[in-house]
Amino acid sequence: MNCKKASRLLSTYQDRELNSALEQEVELHLRDCRACRTEWRGLQELVGSLKLLPPPAADPHFPAKVMAGLQVKRAGKFRLLPAAAYALVFLTIFLSGFFLQLSFDSAARTEKPQAATFTAVLLENQGLRLQAVHDNTLIIFAW
Amino acid sequence: MTDDEIISAVLAGRRQDFEILIRRYSGKIIHFITRMTQDRDEAQSIAQEVFLKVFQNLPYYRKENNFSAFIFKIAKNMTLNWLNREKRTVFFSRLLQRELDKAHFRQEPPRYSLHDPNEREIEITRNLLLLPEEQRLALILKVYLEFSYKQIREITGWSIPKIETLISRAKSRLKKNIGLQERSREFVLNARKK
Repeated sequence: MNCKKASRLLSTYQDRELNSALEQEVELHLRDCRACRTEWRGLQELVGSLKLLPPPAADPHFPAKVMAGLQVKRAGKFRLLPAAAYALVFLTIFLSGFFLQLSFDSAARTEKPQAATFTAVLLENQGLRLQAVHDNTLIIFAW
Repeated sequence: MTDDEIISAVLAGRRQDFEILIRRYSGKIIHFITRMTQDRDEAQSIAQEVFLKVFQNLPYYRKENNFSAFIFKIAKNMTLNWLNREKRTVFFSRLLQRELDKAHFRQEPPRYSLHDPNEREIEITRNLLLLPEEQRLALILKVYLEFSYKQIREITGWSIPKIETLISRAKSRLKKNIGLQERSREFVLNARKK
């Protein structure tokens, strides 16, 4: 084995991931080659330095915190209920404002819609309806 | 009780048994995330999220697989997501020049003497963070978690030659950056002269 090949295999040799034949070849080369032996020592020194970093201190309450998190997550399924209630209130305000305005508009034009049905009024006042939706949206956003 | 037995119990309704798995793996998971992020507080909160996600995904865990790889795969994905979010945050905040106004940008970078063990620790931590993400991930899984290349392959999905290359490059880069490279090169040259 030459130095180039040995140098390439040193990291894997250090990680004990070479097959036994290659491992023996590297060992033999290291025994004979001073330069590669020095490189090997450098690698050993590096990994030694890396292992100097201590593992973070364990938090004894960590498992309890995760278990509490699991409970909250489970309870979280029912959080949809208040959200639905808010949506319902929002929709009620929006629609009531819309129909209120529509009834004011049709009352103001009493001569026209006497014979007209509610649907006809809706179709006739298409422009007004859009205006009403627009106004209500503005009111709700302002609110 | 093996991991698989605990998982079966949890899936059968004994939720409290999940705590055994948390106690078994939390140290390693927090260690892994801390080394990847170099932020102990964030590591705790990411680790909590990891365990919640593991719990949610327990029904999809297959017994023929290794539970350790399953949990570390989730931890790896969540940590990389966090790191990507961080990168974006730093990018945009720098774009807005907020970071440039902070005091530490105006000061001279601290100089460490590597003789003090604490300073050496800081230097190693800093250099680990400077490694490309894939190299750092492979090296941390090997050096700190002591996983075999096969286990790393299960966690990351990379091929073994790729893992070998990543770890080897990470070591070379660290050697160079930490200052060991120069010293060992001198030794090599001296040795070759003799």
